[in-house]
Amino acid sequence: MAPLTEEKVSTSIGKQSVWRAGPPDGPTLVYLHSATGEVPLAPVLEDLAETYQVVAPLFPGFGESEGIDQINDIEDAVFHLLDLWDALGLSERGAAVVGASLGGWMAAELAMRYPSSTSHLVLVNPAGLFIENHPIKEIFGRQPAELAEDLFADQHHPMAEMMHQFQAVVDSKAEIPFDLMKPMLQSLAATAKVAWNPYLHDPKLLRRLYRVTAATLVVHGADDRLIPREHAVAYAEAIGGARLVDVEGAGHLLPLEKPAELAALIRGFVPAAG
Amino acid sequence: VTLSSSNTQGDPAMRVFSFHLMPYPALPPGYDGPAWITCPNALFDPAVGHEIYNRYLDELVYADELGFDGVCINEHHQNAYGIMPSPNLMASILARQTKRCKIAIVGNALPLYDPPTRVAEEFAMIDCISGGRLIAGFVVGGGPEYYSFSINPAHARERFYEAHDLIIKAWTEPGPFEFIGKHYQIRYVNTWPRPVQQPHPEVWIPGVGSLETMEFVARHHYAYMGIPYFHINVFERTFRMFREACEREGYEADPQQMGWLEPIYVAETDEQARREYEDHFFYFVKRLLPGINIQPPGYTTLRSMESMLKGLNTFAINLENWDQVVEGQYAIVGSPDTVYEKLVENLRRLGTGNLLGLFQLGTLPGDLTRRNLELFATEVMPRLKREFPEGVRILPDASAGAVA
Repeated sequence: MAPLTEEKVSTSIGKQSVWRAGPPDGPTLVYLHSATGEVPLAPVLEDLAETYQVVAPLFPGFGESEGIDQINDIEDAVFHLLDLWDALGLSERGAAVVGASLGGWMAAELAMRYPSSTSHLVLVNPAGLFIENHPIKEIFGRQPAELAEDLFADQHHPMAEMMHQFQAVVDSKAEIPFDLMKPMLQSLAATAKVAWNPYLHDPKLLRRLYRVTAATLVVHGADDRLIPREHAVAYAEAIGGARLVDVEGAGHLLPLEKPAELAALIRGFVPAAG
Repeated sequence: VTLSSSNTQGDPAMRVFSFHLMPYPALPPGYDGPAWITCPNALFDPAVGHEIYNRYLDELVYADELGFDGVCINEHHQNAYGIMPSPNLMASILARQTKRCKIAIVGNALPLYDPPTRVAEEFAMIDCISGGRLIAGFVVGGGPEYYSFSINPAHARERFYEAHDLIIKAWTEPGPFEFIGKHYQIRYVNTWPRPVQQPHPEVWIPGVGSLETMEFVARHHYAYMGIPYFHINVFERTFRMFREACEREGYEADPQQMGWLEPIYVAETDEQARREYEDHFFYFVKRLLPGINIQPPGYTTLRSMESMLKGLNTFAINLENWDQVVEGQYAIVGSPDTVYEKLVENLRRLGTGNLLGLFQLGTLPGDLTRRNLELFATEVMPRLKREFPEGVRILPDASAGAVA
């Protein structure tokens, strides 16, 4: 397991926090995180760094990444990724991209608008679509315990347990140290900049997905209670040659719950040598 | 010793307003969910609506007849707490049915109006109909409204400031002109009618303690209305912060730039007042407040959030018994003497030149509300007017000097 280290990369909207690990000569694998900003807490990235040069940027508003005031919709988010691709030297040859949930939406938008940016696309429980009668559940304004139920298949996962403990503190009406709440408030605010309305989707994305040229793998957690399976099916049907895999026992935050399974799927899909 | 100009001239006379939230009083006993956003609208009985809209309007008209300086109404959407999605409709009725009092709309939630020139138009209409009696309130809109309207809460303040600039410009600069902002682009702004009060009506901004709002109000020399349901200590801190914000702008705040909104109930004796009022107050606290305090992501800056969290555990929703209500002055309830004494004590402590009383709250019925208004208007208000006449400082000199 190769530990991730944080570095700062300059873009037009400010310094970005980028976590990296793995052999410098290995093929680049970019990981775009979910609304939980799980990058520093995701062992799957250390695992993947045995094979790939893993590059995991924090989206503006998450951690120390700057410039969220310049981002007002998904298009701004995609333009930011283009800047980041330039800064990371990925624009010429493109990269394999893994995106989870919110990050999956961004990855799909980037691959659709700028096909050369992405050689392989792995969408893990991706947001981004509106499917009639199969809505994405609310993430804003929820109680931590309710959200944990929707995000994890296993309520004993350390992060799920943390959310339940947080709920107990909220219920006790004890004063919550502001420093503890700050990162959470910041990530939700940053997510809302892109995803408040239209809620976690781009109405034009689905009919444009045919433009994606990257080899695509859609991964669905069989116990995802936040985004119904129909979304994964719609992605897989709209992107030419895409494959859909269901992972048993995985909830919405599949990269945290099933790191070994996800790493194995990615290794079977993205070639190890460039 | 500091002698400011206000010290020598003294303060303007205290103004007393009757504020109505127009609560929905008939939530079924079995319903224990929030009163906001997702409170099922099947629970709204139109027959009750017919009765209470007319009753509540009568109560405001009655306040005018009893000699209040003004009446206040406000805007909230998709909730049982206050069934006034359009205060402007109510104000237009009041403009005809009241004769002398000010009509304060506290306020229109500007980010919810697109384009916001609609507010400039409707406020100007009400000012014309009432003969210049409108007080123009602007508000960002509550957290729940950003869910109910799906407007991005991260843009709440930007939209509010931009809409404000547009409305004031529409009232003060000759049209037509073009307005191109980040959120609103209008090629021809040329608002008909224009307000009777020139250059524009008095502007009030309600707030719950956010620094941004206070600084905005101070910068524009508007009036800041402290929203209730917190411990009196929180109010004290809020108005101190507001006075400090005015000082940073280089002037001493006029008490008329501050308003204290407070539930008030008067009966013959203290015991009777509590007996008649307590249950209605707790219906308000336990049934109508739940859900009001939701903070959508990005709605408040972290700086303001941190400051507001300091008062959050004193929010009225946490009240469990009457002793806490009395101790924190969440409502001023009692005989005319008691109510008078408590109001004087608190007004001297807060230094506000406007008292905004909520004389109807929760399920308080019409007969008790009217008697409350009568007793207040005859037994309390005249004494308050004598206690705070024009030319006398509201804040004791010690506290006024302390900030100099």
